[in-house]
Amino acid sequence: MPELELGGNTYEVDEDGFLQQLDKWNPQFAQDYAPLEGIDGELTEDHWKLINYIRDYYEEYGIAPMIRKLCKDCKFKLKYIYEMFPSGPAKGACKLAGLSKPTGCV
Amino acid sequence: MAEPARSIVVDPGLDETIKKLTPERIESTIKKVLTKEAAARLKVYMQTCVHCGLCAEACHFYLSHDKDPRFSPVGKVKQTLWEIVRKKGKVDGEFIKNCSRIAHTECNVCRRCSMYCPFGIDMAYLLLLVRRICAQLGVVPQYLQDTVNSHAVTLNQMWVKQDEWIDTLQWQEEDAQDEVKNARIPLDVEGAEIMYSVIGPEPKFLAQLLGNISMIMTVAGMDWTMPSFDGWDNSNMAMYSGDFETMARVERKHYEAAFKLKAKKIVMGECGHAFRGAVYDGSKWLSWKQSPVPVIHAIQFYYELIRDGKIKIGKKFEKPITVQDPCNVVRGRGLGEMLRYIMNAVCEDFRDVSPRFEHNYCCAAGGGVINCGPPWKKSRVEGNRVKAEQFKATGAEVVVTPCHNCHSGIEDIVDYYNLGMHVKFFSEILVEVMEIPEDMKAE
Repeated sequence: MPELELGGNTYEVDEDGFLQQLDKWNPQFAQDYAPLEGIDGELTEDHWKLINYIRDYYEEYGIAPMIRKLCKDCKFKLKYIYEMFPSGPAKGACKLAGLSKPTGCV
Repeated sequence: MAEPARSIVVDPGLDETIKKLTPERIESTIKKVLTKEAAARLKVYMQTCVHCGLCAEACHFYLSHDKDPRFSPVGKVKQTLWEIVRKKGKVDGEFIKNCSRIAHTECNVCRRCSMYCPFGIDMAYLLLLVRRICAQLGVVPQYLQDTVNSHAVTLNQMWVKQDEWIDTLQWQEEDAQDEVKNARIPLDVEGAEIMYSVIGPEPKFLAQLLGNISMIMTVAGMDWTMPSFDGWDNSNMAMYSGDFETMARVERKHYEAAFKLKAKKIVMGECGHAFRGAVYDGSKWLSWKQSPVPVIHAIQFYYELIRDGKIKIGKKFEKPITVQDPCNVVRGRGLGEMLRYIMNAVCEDFRDVSPRFEHNYCCAAGGGVINCGPPWKKSRVEGNRVKAEQFKATGAEVVVTPCHNCHSGIEDIVDYYNLGMHVKFFSEILVEVMEIPEDMKAE
């Protein structure tokens, strides 16, 4: 299993770089991972709003939210999601939120 | 010389499932598949192959592994199906696990090798037959099986529910109206000329592609509709896992949606395997001579729109750009010329790849391989070094992939080999460069 060193901590990740266990996530993981996903500097309030939303949804339903749901509940435009997470909602936002890689053609 | 050791990959879909197998079950399952399903076709292929090895040089996995014979098409068949036949099905769980690894994760069933076989043996069929045996035994990579489970339960691949689907379409219709004020996504219009279908990831994550098609269809003045009900997802990973019963249910539902809407034809988004499933593998399994409603792939659809002047191109895309030929619609359907036509129509600086058209290499993601998920990613990208070299030689900054599997697979290759390129769907370029008539422009 690949290991990823971020900010002095070691995390078990899969080969796509997704965290192996949801409960090993912590805010520092997201912040330290951000530059690898093309996000410069500190994560903003909106980044956190999205990350927390995805985590809460996943904990409740065991699946990543639809992009529609995410934009509606967080009140974000779709284009803004890509501005915040250049690698997109599935490969960027879900990864920073500590989810497993979504299944399907992604 | 000793063969280099293979890395160990942990996948519960293989490691755990084989524990439940008994020798009797393996033998009887193999017997059933080989005698009831494969029968004469397998026999002909087995007796025709002269073991010349010409297929080897055609395979990107073989070339990318420095010509390791274990990755040649004939080598993959030899390690799996030939042994199964030779031993008359008396193989163990470990052997089946290795079969799944080879057939599900190291072959894209892309059929490039069949073009180089002097007899045209369909190697993809043989490897799909191995997958069929594995699937019947419940031995399938976990991520792929999860996708198949979604197909089986929801008839789409991403566990999308009907209210979410409709809500997403209406939302993207509104987003499209930010650019084209009269943009629509007409739902359930009976008798429409076109039923447009997509793959599950579009509503799930890539919803902007739905907004794009709304703009394109509106500007082109098409008579089109999308179903609000099951059958909207044209993708089919069951075709690739070997669960052909589920494959057939999915394909039938897709066509039934078109029947219900009395659509004249189905136009599908940029996805290669969906076309293969609808037109070839699915129809064949359902014992249909051909698809009951004409199915038009996005490449052909955009070609017709641009050729007929329904979409006019304004300022062309300027950055150097290249393209990936999706195997299932270029090798499988011969859309390579149309793809070049539309690329040249929208881009200033199109740089073609070599080899190209039906001789192009697969993206290594197709055939369900990328759907086998993260455990197999390294093996997949390492298995396509030739693709990275091919793109690098073009000097392009952007790659267009008119297929979802190609898109994700090539993003991974660009990343792994540090190619620094952007990967885009054709429709993303098209909406950037098409002319929106003044009376349609949003304020």
